[in-house]
Amino acid sequence: MNARAVPVWDLWPDGISWQPMSPTLRTVWVLRSLLNVLILAVIAAVPLTIWLGWDGLLWALGGYVVLAGLRALAVSRTVRTWGYAERDQDLLVRHGLLTRRLSIVPYGRIQLIDLSAGPVERMFGLTTVQVRTAALGSNTEVPGLDPLVAAALRDRLAVRAAEVREGL
Amino acid sequence: MSAEAGPVHGDEPAPPLSPAPYGPVPYAPSAPPEGVQRQRLHPLTPLLESVRFLTAAAAAVGLQMFTSRNFLFAVYAAVAAAVVGGIASLIALQFRGFVIWGRELHIYGGVFTRSHRTVPLDRLQSVDLVRPLRARVFGLAQLNIEVAGGDGTDARLAYLKHDRALELRSELLSIAGRPGAAPQTAVESTEEAPAAGPAPLVPPVTVRKLAVASLLEALPVQLTALLVFGTAFAVTGSIFGFTQVATALWFGFFAPALLGYLQSTVQMVNRFLRNCRFRITRDGGNLLIERGLTDTSHETVPVDRVTAVSFDEPILWRRKDWRRVEVWTAAVAQSAAVVKSTTALPVGTPDEVSTVAAEAVPELSSVFAVEQPPRRARWRMPLRWKRTGALLDEKVFVVRHGWWVNTYAAVPYARIQSVRVVQGPIQRMQGLASVHAMTAGGVGHTATAAHRDVVEAVAMAAELRKRADAAAALEAPRLS
Repeated sequence: MNARAVPVWDLWPDGISWQPMSPTLRTVWVLRSLLNVLILAVIAAVPLTIWLGWDGLLWALGGYVVLAGLRALAVSRTVRTWGYAERDQDLLVRHGLLTRRLSIVPYGRIQLIDLSAGPVERMFGLTTVQVRTAALGSNTEVPGLDPLVAAALRDRLAVRAAEVREGL
Repeated sequence: MSAEAGPVHGDEPAPPLSPAPYGPVPYAPSAPPEGVQRQRLHPLTPLLESVRFLTAAAAAVGLQMFTSRNFLFAVYAAVAAAVVGGIASLIALQFRGFVIWGRELHIYGGVFTRSHRTVPLDRLQSVDLVRPLRARVFGLAQLNIEVAGGDGTDARLAYLKHDRALELRSELLSIAGRPGAAPQTAVESTEEAPAAGPAPLVPPVTVRKLAVASLLEALPVQLTALLVFGTAFAVTGSIFGFTQVATALWFGFFAPALLGYLQSTVQMVNRFLRNCRFRITRDGGNLLIERGLTDTSHETVPVDRVTAVSFDEPILWRRKDWRRVEVWTAAVAQSAAVVKSTTALPVGTPDEVSTVAAEAVPELSSVFAVEQPPRRARWRMPLRWKRTGALLDEKVFVVRHGWWVNTYAAVPYARIQSVRVVQGPIQRMQGLASVHAMTAGGVGHTATAAHRDVVEAVAMAAELRKRADAAAALEAPRLS
């Protein structure tokens, strides 16, 4: 089947010009995954050291290098799948490596727009835009934008949301 | 971050704060606005609210009395409870009440932690009149006021005299500007039994029919449960012998499963009791639903707030051709995880179902020719596959799913909030994808067209968005 290789969002009938995320997003997420795996490795090192003596530390280190390498590879590939597009009437967000998701949020249904930035994100100057509608399950995120781009996106979304208010 | 985001906004300073805060002053949360009298709740309210605690306490005291053979103890306990409870109720009542002020309803409560809830009546979704059994004994009623929004946005007014509650409901509805809120009908029904008003849409569901329907719905679950538990009991018994110890251990081991089974049975009985004496009428722009055997409730569902209609068909109803109609609104979703929609018809024949459906959403038919997912998706859901499907109808998006209970959910295009296409790893290998159309309200309020062909799925999502915009453009904009 041909459709297998093509991500779901590339099958959209009209052409969409996807906006990429900020290039530093990859660095941030890889760093974050390295940190997460490091915590796991430290936790695993304690019983390993008790069990194997000082060799346990080496095992933990080796495991960390392998796992972190794989994780970093996966994360850096995932980052590339993220993208957003602003169309006339709606905002499109795509992401996901294994499970591919394409969210479509009409401007008229936007209830709330959040900007947020975690400590690591702030260090690299990144901001996340979150868009909510009245449906509780639909919380669409656009992570890793330059603060200026994020604020501009927020303002554009807010203006469009006020123009075409559609309600529940 | 805000410092960097600043220049985009422009350099004008923020507008100055208003000289005085709007509404009641924040440092006196229990004070009603000046010149407006706060209305009290019924004096029996604290007693009724603590009825569970009182029952438990009475049981404990009774047990104590019988074991110690000290009958005076009960008298002391009763006197103490009366004095303490009376004083506590008097104090509690001082701090509770409500005020209708302009287009807002203010509800005050709490003795130690004061609360003051402001309900904007413009956002009113529905006002339900509920009468639990304990309140009916005293001729009291409770008003549940639902506003669209996040979690816990529903407000309760409990308890009020029944006719006062009816009056207040029509008052609230008329302030909210519900077209056809028809205060006259409600006021009329204060004088006589609520049998007055417009004729019911469908002939009332007889208790017999409802009982048969409930039994048929519950039968598969009950049979499966009995079968599973019976086999488990026989197997363990044949291994360990049917001694007392083994049986006790067995019950201990299976306690969670047994509890779950009991709970589902209780829920079935509750559902039956709640749907007894069901009566649905259409009054202007509202669907009025009256139901309940022990706890009665009068629900008002504004038709323009209906986000979707779903038709359920439990597996054993198929031969009888019965279906249940449920109505989704934005308000219902948040109030409880148990009840995720309002029942508009507990059980009905195809004619009755189509009548109710057409009232809930104009020109909605009740029979849909949905299209099945491609054949390669069949192994993923061997039983359900035949009964799964999706359809882009003229005005509604219809999905069908489920085997035990087969459900058609019809979402008018104008009510679709956001659309999502999701493709899992196995779906990708097969060239399939699922389309989710979300409506306002809880997580359950999503119409999912599962396992469509990937090209079709994306086209469907694009089409849904187009039609949603077109449908919403035809409507007058609604803020809530």
